[in-house]
Amino acid sequence: MATTTEAEQVTPVGEDSSWYERLKHNRNWLGFLFMVPAAAILLVFLAYPLGLGVWLGFTDVKVGRPGQFVGFDNYAWLLEDDVFWLSVFNTFLYTVVASIFKFAIGLWLAVLLNRHMPFKSFLRAIVLLPFIVPTVLSALAFWWIYDSQDSVISWTLIEMGLIERPIDFLGDPNNARASVIVANIWRGIPFVAITLLAGLQTISPSLYEAATIDGANEWQRFWRITLPLLTPIIAVVMTFSVLFTFTDFQLIWVMTRGGPINATHLMATLSYQRAIIGGSLGEGAAIATAMIPFLLAAILFSYFGLQRRKWQQGGVDD
Amino acid sequence: MTEASVGRKAAGREGMAYLESIPRNVVTVYIPLAIIVFVLLFPFYWMGITTLKTNEELYAYRGLKALWVYEPTFENIRHLLFETDYPRWVWNTMFVTVTATFLSLFCAVCAAYGIERLRYKGARTIGMLIFLAYLVPPSILFIPLSIMVFKLGIFDSNWALILTYPTILIPFCTWLLMGYFRSIPYELEECALIDGATRLQILTKIILPLSVPGLISAGIFAFTLSWNEFIYALTFISSAEKKTVPVGAVTELITFDVYNWGGLMAGALLGSLPVAILYSFFVEHYVSSMTGAVKE
Amino acid sequence: MLKSTRRDFVKGASSLALGAAFASPALIEAARAWAAESPWKPEDGAKLRMLRWKRFVQSEGEAFQASLDAFTKATGVEIRLDSEGFEDLRPKAAVAANIGSGPDVIWGIHADAHLYPDAMLDITDVCDHLGGKYGGWYPIAEHYGKGRDGKWINLPITISGNLINYRKSMVQKAGFDKIPDNTADFLKLFQNLKKNGSPGGFALGNASGDGNCWTHWILWSHGGRVVDENDNVVVNSPETVAGLEYVKELGENFVQGTASWLDGHNNKAFLQGACSVTNNGISIYAAAVREGMKDVAEDMDHAFYPVGPVGEPTEFHVAFPMMPYKHTKYPNAVKALLAWLMEKEQYDAFLQGSVGYLSHSLKAFQEHPVWTEDPKRTVFRDVAQRSRSFAHAGTLGYAASTVFADFVVVNMVAEVATGARSPQDAAKRAQKRAERYYKV
Repeated sequence: MATTTEAEQVTPVGEDSSWYERLKHNRNWLGFLFMVPAAAILLVFLAYPLGLGVWLGFTDVKVGRPGQFVGFDNYAWLLEDDVFWLSVFNTFLYTVVASIFKFAIGLWLAVLLNRHMPFKSFLRAIVLLPFIVPTVLSALAFWWIYDSQDSVISWTLIEMGLIERPIDFLGDPNNARASVIVANIWRGIPFVAITLLAGLQTISPSLYEAATIDGANEWQRFWRITLPLLTPIIAVVMTFSVLFTFTDFQLIWVMTRGGPINATHLMATLSYQRAIIGGSLGEGAAIATAMIPFLLAAILFSYFGLQRRKWQQGGVDD
Repeated sequence: MTEASVGRKAAGREGMAYLESIPRNVVTVYIPLAIIVFVLLFPFYWMGITTLKTNEELYAYRGLKALWVYEPTFENIRHLLFETDYPRWVWNTMFVTVTATFLSLFCAVCAAYGIERLRYKGARTIGMLIFLAYLVPPSILFIPLSIMVFKLGIFDSNWALILTYPTILIPFCTWLLMGYFRSIPYELEECALIDGATRLQILTKIILPLSVPGLISAGIFAFTLSWNEFIYALTFISSAEKKTVPVGAVTELITFDVYNWGGLMAGALLGSLPVAILYSFFVEHYVSSMTGAVKE
Repeated sequence: MLKSTRRDFVKGASSLALGAAFASPALIEAARAWAAESPWKPEDGAKLRMLRWKRFVQSEGEAFQASLDAFTKATGVEIRLDSEGFEDLRPKAAVAANIGSGPDVIWGIHADAHLYPDAMLDITDVCDHLGGKYGGWYPIAEHYGKGRDGKWINLPITISGNLINYRKSMVQKAGFDKIPDNTADFLKLFQNLKKNGSPGGFALGNASGDGNCWTHWILWSHGGRVVDENDNVVVNSPETVAGLEYVKELGENFVQGTASWLDGHNNKAFLQGACSVTNNGISIYAAAVREGMKDVAEDMDHAFYPVGPVGEPTEFHVAFPMMPYKHTKYPNAVKALLAWLMEKEQYDAFLQGSVGYLSHSLKAFQEHPVWTEDPKRTVFRDVAQRSRSFAHAGTLGYAASTVFADFVVVNMVAEVATGARSPQDAAKRAQKRAERYYKV
């Protein structure tokens, strides 16, 4: 709040009483004006359909047929549906494991790339590649890499004498979960790494120099300088990474369609399967709506959790 | 290993320390880096050789022979470029992506500035609301959205995508930019205000130049997300010549249970090539503009 | 000898069709004569939009395009044709029904028209006319074509066969001349194949085509079914359990990885020689011929599914009906088009171009040469007579479609085949899942 009052003191210029002048300086009016473009798009193309989606969750609307309000029927159904609960479990597993790895490897990669080394910019550019290829198509490449008969990974391990028969990557429930998570991590690392790298660049080398003079070792410097200063960007990056992982769809849809025996069904894919392929729009919408509290919790956790650390470090906010 | 590299960073820039400890660097930096880069790039190698293989070779292989191409063919690429609408899809994707990215950046800059620097009444709430905008995945939004897209008369046109993609892009861009704007000292703005500058001037002359790295990250992010978007492009576009790369490749090259592997992989590679070039330029820019951008 | 002529023929047919992406003068002439006689006169200035699934083979796509072109030349009705991947078509069809706008005709899959029968145009007159003219519809076509009140709501233009594909040499090595005609011997075949190191396998993943086809066959072959005639869920029955016991034994002999298989996996494994027996459309064979994979093409053949204890064929093949939307501005043009698309003048070429992928739904086309010129295609001739719908005894509608789309049967069979559940448990669980949807 300190900054807010400070900032308010700076607007005493609004003495001119002309309408235009007041508009120019009244922060609420200006704020409104600045919000118009984003708000227009988000309200029309997001808030309204979102409301519609939530409402659909309380109806028994089928594709092509109007439905009736059924209250919490869809949710009551879902509570008893073990496929739904399996998808909830999978979604959590997928999100938590993939996010942790994406963060750890991404941060590590960012730190490595932040060093002075030959071909630095070339490396930085190629690291972004997995992020660039359309996900549907890279998922197809993984489809083949994970093939049950002719996986190149299996063949390599067999040639090296490490295993005897091909690994059943996508056929065994746990292998399948691990495999899709690896594919997701593969796709997600560049975004995390490059954004964190951007954050690393903003940290002044003088801080490290000072710390070195004070006798801090490398680990301490990372822990006391890099991490705290990186926290705001970590908060944003990880929140979004969690969000995207949680609502992932394309990768699973191409590689497993939720199989084997629904072991990799995520809430998003199950909702699509039931709503679009199966035609139960209401139920599909209910599954999607059921993601909201989880997402909300994930966001609040990563946002406020990480943000708070920053305040404790004496950050500028509120 | 992590701490080693971090700690060394400052020293490494000086150039001396890094010469001293090459063996250690090999273990802590180059080997891990090589492994990560290998894992990140292997699927591309795979796509590359699959593109160059004839179907016969693709199906006939056994064992490690799969890792090489013995009878390379450009047939898959030729087919993709000359017998499908591929160039058209690339153009559509470019147009949609660039327009949607700029539109989103514009909206996001305004919104982030409003929330973070103007701090009008309820700014926090609005910020949170924008964040909440992500909560329903496109896979469920697209039915209600398609009704609207149709009512607006933009069904099956580029505008259907240009106007709906920002719903995925604006929240992230806004939040990223808010973070950057927050790190810019208020004193700069205060001085400018006292000097009689308008908010718009402050935004364009002070805040934006200082936020170039943020803008680039947001831009890269928005660009990639729209480049890869699948569900909306699948639903709102039906004419073959208006499709985007991911949708076009998948619908044209998979005929039920028969996958044109070479073509699909060629599509993946060729589709990312122009972007990769663009990115290599931006990453350079991104990194150099970063240095000292937000220093006190 | 035979093989080379066949290949030449296939090549010849496709290059011919390539040149004829527009209708031949003869076809246009035929269309004109037909249009003059046709009881459906398109509205003045009618224009139609049509969306279809992406053609399986180029020659079929071209024959179809030529047919549309002839229709345009004969009637002046312009037709805009777009195509979409097979799975991706369904959301579009749903959206079109939901918002009451979009293409006038969608060439879809399964029984989607039964999900939104009120959005469909009544085409009873067209279908009655065609049925009368061409020896009648097969029962399955009527089942898919007619809505609940007996009105035709979509045109069951074709059914795509999904049968056993096998490697002759491997099956022979396992002690059988061809695929056995009963399930007991079929199990023996699978056991022998596994012993020989050349196992077969069926898709157990969420494969909407192959997975559904073979699991429904197994379920029905032992007398199990999802619902009875009154749409009561009866999947948890001794018959189902018997079928699942069979699956358990069969599944032990599958090639590795079938639990993950989607529709495309068995094509790849079969072409690579990693799988000796599987179920599929004619696409594996067509690919082998097209890609010049002589060894595979010569060594493979197709067969009906073996008959189970119930003593009659219990097959499931995928229907591809044309859905006429009520929102069209030109209902007569739509009717005229649908009628034309099943008239012999062009349907012959369409079947020919489909090279066995698509089978006829009107009895008069049983004698078409496409089925006999290559003996490996012949079994696909009979799929319409042998096929049941996925709803089988019950009615086509939301519940049946949802249970089908939710892979209830596929999951049940997969749970048993992979050993994740006992047959009894799997049947119980399927019962519970199916009941949820049939309660509606």
